[in-house]
Parts: sequence; C-alpha cells; structure tokens
Amino acid sequence: MTNSMSNTEFVTNLVENQYKVLKTEVLDQYQIAFEVKKEDVHSILSLLKTSGWIQLSYLSAVDWIKDNEFEVVYIVFNWDKAVHIQIRTRLDRESASINSVLPIYPGCKYYEREAHEFFGIKFPGNPDYEKQLILENWDDIPPLRKDFDPRQYSDKKFSHMEYKNDFVNKDGKVSKQEAREKRFSDADKLRTGGKK
Amino acid sequence: MKEMKLFLGPQHPGMSGNASVHMYVDGDIIKRSYLLPGMLHRGFEKGMERHLWVNNISLIPRVCVVEPDTNEMAFAMAVEMIAKLEVPERAHYIRMIILEFARLSIHLMSYGGLGGPTGLYTLMYHAHTDRNTILNIFEKITGHRVYHQYIVPGGVRKDLPVGIEKDMHSFLDDLESRYEEYRDLGINNLSIQARIRDTIMLPKEVVWELGVTGIGMRSAVNKPYDLRKVKPYARYDQIEFDVPVSDYSDAYARVDCKLQEVLQSISIIRQCLIKMPKGDVRVPISKGQAMRWTVPKGYAYACVESSRGEFGYFMVSDGGTHPYRVGVRGASYPQGLLGVEKYLPGTRLDDASLWIDTMGVCSPEIDR
Repeated sequence: MTNSMSNTEFVTNLVENQYKVLKTEVLDQYQIAFEVKKEDVHSILSLLKTSGWIQLSYLSAVDWIKDNEFEVVYIVFNWDKAVHIQIRTRLDRESASINSVLPIYPGCKYYEREAHEFFGIKFPGNPDYEKQLILENWDDIPPLRKDFDPRQYSDKKFSHMEYKNDFVNKDGKVSKQEAREKRFSDADKLRTGGKK
Repeated sequence: MKEMKLFLGPQHPGMSGNASVHMYVDGDIIKRSYLLPGMLHRGFEKGMERHLWVNNISLIPRVCVVEPDTNEMAFAMAVEMIAKLEVPERAHYIRMIILEFARLSIHLMSYGGLGGPTGLYTLMYHAHTDRNTILNIFEKITGHRVYHQYIVPGGVRKDLPVGIEKDMHSFLDDLESRYEEYRDLGINNLSIQARIRDTIMLPKEVVWELGVTGIGMRSAVNKPYDLRKVKPYARYDQIEFDVPVSDYSDAYARVDCKLQEVLQSISIIRQCLIKMPKGDVRVPISKGQAMRWTVPKGYAYACVESSRGEFGYFMVSDGGTHPYRVGVRGASYPQGLLGVEKYLPGTRLDDASLWIDTMGVCSPEIDR
C-alpha cells in the first residue's frame, strides 16, 4: 500500500521484460497504462492476474474513427499494491474481434456483452456476448460508434409532432414556439459532436 | 413442483430503481435468475461526448440518483488527472465534507430501505427524516437538494456559506446521539435478525471472481480494502478513520458494516471542519470562457469509494472542447448483473430483495 512509486516501476519491469510494449504511460503514482499488440493481451492479463491484479475493474472500448480502429481497454486493480493498470489494444474497425478474457477474469462477462452491444466488437469465447442486454430491439448501427448520430436516428424513428392551429400565432409576433425553435437551431451550432 | 417464472420489480418495495429480476422458482426456492436492465437507459456515455466540458457538469450527477456526489468527484478527478490540475487545499476538504455527507445520506437511505423487504417501515421513516436534514444542509451549501453540481473540475463551485458549521455540528451530534436507537430499531431487532442472519451469503472465494468492491467485498475478505485508504484521493491520507470489516458476509454483516461506517463518516466530517484551511476553492481548468474550455489529449481512469464500492470514470480527451469518450464503471455493476445470476439461485424468493438492498444494487448506474 505504501511506496506506490516503486510499485509502478515494479509493474513496468514485470511487463516490459517479457512482452513488447508499444507505449508505456505512467499517469500518476497509482496508475499506469500499456499499449500492446492484440496477440499479447491475454498472456499479459494472465501474467498480471497471477501477480496479484485479481480484479477486473472495467472493460470498454474507444472508437478512433479517423484511424479506422477500435481501442479495447482493460483496467485491472491490485488491492495490495494499489496500482490500476490499463491494458489498451487496437483492433481493425471493419472486422473488430478479440477473444474473450472470460477464463482469466470471469467478471468480464457482462462488460463484454455491453461492449458488443454499444460498439459491435465480437468476443468469441464468451457464450452470451451476442445476446441483447440493455438496448431492446435495437435496429441501427451500435450507438457508441462515432458515426452514429442520435439526432438523425430520432428524426428517422419518431416523426415530428404536428401542432394544432390554436398554437399558431397569427398576429405577427414571434411566438414562443418559434423562439424555442430558433434557440434549438442556435444550440445546434455549438454541438459539433466532438469536433473542434 | 412445476417451475414457475416470476419477476421482482421494477415496481416492488424491495427493488431500488427501475430494473427487474427475472426468476424461475420451484416452490419458493429460486432455481435460475438474472437481471433485466435497460429500463432506465438514457445514453449518458453518448450524451457526454456531445456536450461541452462545462455542460457535462450538469449531466453527470444524473448517472446515479441517490448518490450524485461521487459521480461529480470521479468526473472532476478524471479531468484533473488529464489536465494535470492542482486543486486548492481548501477545496479538497470541502469535497470530503460533501462526499461524507453523501455517504451518510445513502447509508441512512439504504438502511431504511431494509425496511422494505423485511416489512418494518418504521425504519424507513426514521432514516428518511434524517436524510431530509442532510438534504437541507446540502440546499444551504449548494442551492440544490439532490443534484448538487457542486464538485466541479478544478475545485468546488463556491465556498461554504457562513455559519454552516453550526448546522453540520448540530446534525452530527443529533445523529450520533440516536445511533444506538437506530441499531435497536433495525439490526438488533430479533424479528429483523431472523431475516438477515445467515442468508444470501457472499463466499470469500468468489469475491474476486465477481469483481465486487465496497462493503460487499470488505464484509467477506476481512481486509480494509477501501479506496480511501488504499489509494487516498482528496486529503483522506491526512484524516484518521477505520474501515469496518468482517469475515462472514451475510446480510447482517453487511448492514453492520454500513452502520459502523456512519460513525466513521461523522468523525471524518468533524476532523475536516477542524483541519480545513482558508483560501481559494477553485481554479479554472483552462484559459478563457467556460464554453471554450479545452482539456489536453490523454487518458485517465479516476475512481472513488462510493457507498457501494469503486465508482470510476474512464475518460479520453482528444484535446477538443468535448470529451472524446467517457465510460462509467458503475459500482454495483458486478453484484447487480453477475451476482444476481450466480448467487441468488438456491436462496428463497423473499431473500432476493435483501441481496438487492444489502449489496446496494443501483440500477441507474448499470444502465447509464
């Protein structure tokens, strides 16, 4: 628990001595990140599990649409050494698939199902990964991909409400409805969807 | 007897939030069960990508309804970690006070919630009365009762109002004086003990398999595995407190740990009020107007100890005005999904809601 700076060094030595790490990033004294190749993920995770990183804290993905890649992130934790380790790996976006880590961390079962549902990444080895979990009867591309636009989807799925004549203002003033629509369209200019 | 399909929730006194447990029962013994989440899915992770950094402050408390402050804290810590911000000393102490009041409020609420499945509603009335006093204090500090939006990246929104210490002390003294009364009403009550002793066990060997954290884990492994101790954030390393543990995780042990934590939280708040220095409470996260704030490129995973366990935010920034990706690790994800599937079979039907209550399954943070 104490002396965590040496713990991150311990982890760096442990992993870098045995595997080719593309990038190492020490985020602070309690956290370290490794970017590794897809083939090495499972052996690194099993090495870490036998070295005491027995808890899978989080598993998810990031969509790097410009590079045409998904990045899968595994975060594991050791309660005695108090170091969070991020293992990140890149997958090809078109045929994104990585073997499940279910035999190493049984707790990943639902995280993998969720990652499949929201990104479309396949996890062969996990028997249930294709079952729907949170989104019921989803009929579009997986929603956390960057090319999914929720505004477009809702316009397509739910038609615009038509207002009755009573609400239409006839005396030339700007009605509340028009002012609201203008405010919404102005707000659209600010929503750039992650672009600068 | 023929196997029968039953639902627990989404409308049930023992079910907190809008999820339902799907059970196949034989007599009153559960044979198979799994959680059906998704009734409260609001697309937070997508929503955060489409909002400015400053706008997200009002979005994140909504992730978990009953305990919004841990969300704000984890989000703020993740941003500070990427932007390499130093938070003013006074802000750390104010954050700890807010977080511990939030812990008190949710422990009281979940202790009162024990009244639902066991049928003793008096407990709930007492607990909610005290929670109401905490919400009054929050209202004086932040202007809001439930979603405070008070802990922001770079510090806290405003300094504490003048004279609030008096309110805090009077509430803490009052709660401490009635602590034994609470125990007598709830877990020392024989009719409740009959329901919570030796039921819905969480064996020590499977804690790691599930990935359960928080009180659920500490009540089984008998070690002080609390993030406030193990990797101290804010200024928890300068405060003295104990972490209640147990080596036999039945519903009783978990509720007992929860009640002991109430005393520890009271002591932490008192120490914070004494040690709190004077000074600034906020630094801006980047230059210029709030709508144009940017955060440098980077990855971070920040986690805090919520009442249910490790609550984390995984965050990626591409240097823009919006977060590139925010992932939420809900604290009750493992015990809610995998725990219900693996450890409810074999228990009795009416104990299912005790698992939901004592493990602290919060469905909004499973759905996000």
